[in-house]
Amino acid sequence: MGLTVSSLFSSLTSLVRWSKDKDVRILMLGLDSAGKTTILYRLHLGEVLSTIPTIGFNVETVEYKNIKFQVWDLGGQSSIRPYWRCYFPNTSAIIYVIDSSDVDRLATSRSELLTMLSEEELKGVPLLVFCNKQDMDNALKPEKISEELGLAGGEKTRPWSVRGSCALKGEGLEDGLDWLVNTLQNQ
Amino acid sequence: MYHLLKGLHEYLTRKEEFTVLIIGLDGAGKTTFLEKIKTLYNDVPGLSPDKIGPTVGQNTGKITLPSTILQFWDLGGQRGIRNIWHRYYDDCHAVVFVIDADDRERLSEGWEVFDAVLSAPQILGVPLLLLANKQDSPQSLSVEEIRNDYEDWHQRKMSSMRRSSFHANYGGDLDASVRRERIASLDVMGISAIEGTGVREAVDWLFLRVQNSRRVES
Repeated sequence: MGLTVSSLFSSLTSLVRWSKDKDVRILMLGLDSAGKTTILYRLHLGEVLSTIPTIGFNVETVEYKNIKFQVWDLGGQSSIRPYWRCYFPNTSAIIYVIDSSDVDRLATSRSELLTMLSEEELKGVPLLVFCNKQDMDNALKPEKISEELGLAGGEKTRPWSVRGSCALKGEGLEDGLDWLVNTLQNQ
Repeated sequence: MYHLLKGLHEYLTRKEEFTVLIIGLDGAGKTTFLEKIKTLYNDVPGLSPDKIGPTVGQNTGKITLPSTILQFWDLGGQRGIRNIWHRYYDDCHAVVFVIDADDRERLSEGWEVFDAVLSAPQILGVPLLLLANKQDSPQSLSVEEIRNDYEDWHQRKMSSMRRSSFHANYGGDLDASVRRERIASLDVMGISAIEGTGVREAVDWLFLRVQNSRRVES
């Protein structure tokens, strides 16, 4: 009896998992002017568009290595950050973008990130952090930012990666996405 | 009724969970090792080696063994990010240090790092396994050679320390004896993460050792 219930239970959960897998939804978050929209269109069109601050969201389907993602780029201004959580259900991965040259607001960015990660709905969801604007002279190195964020040891069940990027030149984005694709396929 | 059955099911199938840390220099094959473990033990195969790039952060994996779950943390090994390792020491039940037995030029760098891991106070009582990876390469050092190489390296280090009279700063006598014991009881295994040779043996080792040396829960 126990065996029947358990096999039924596991086949049900795999069914649920399968239907969820069909829709790979990625949230791209971060403070305002971190470069989220630029990254989105760099990934979507392969070119740099001139962007304006996002109020609300941009959503595009990005096809990468034969996998289609729905990437949601949510506005990052402080007044609209509380709305991020409306998008948390059914999220497959999070891309968090940080302006590496904005040293003053790194602490704010960190606390927004950690608050978000503590949400039950995002438990175990892979996290890719882009330390963007690495081309700026005063940009902090990804290792330094990684240390400041303190993900090591604090995020036990979630795969995460903190990488440098420069959306304008397109540097670092593919490496990061490669990691994310692999991690997602592996989940 | 459902909750009763569910509770019963959970009770009957509950498993103890242990965490294993996989560390070592960049390019040693830590992620390849973890992915091979996934392939061997899970329904969903892990990544093939050609898809694996350098880890910058943390990869995770979980396998289910009889009455036990092993949770793995595979951490990046590049120089700038090795300082995150110690944040995991308090919570792990076993440590696997992977060394590239084929890369003679970086062996001493590897030993330098390994030595620090070996003497980290938080994990002195935690089972530690040294894996000599890349045994598929004909030039790679054997398990015996790896062990000897580490001991030679350690001798050299000790004697150069004595010469420069820094010896007093290098831990007390008690630490030295604990270290000696640790080195003497250190298990070294040869694997090929790419081909999978020795991977099951390594997991068996972990399975046995985490059961036998449960950490005193604080």
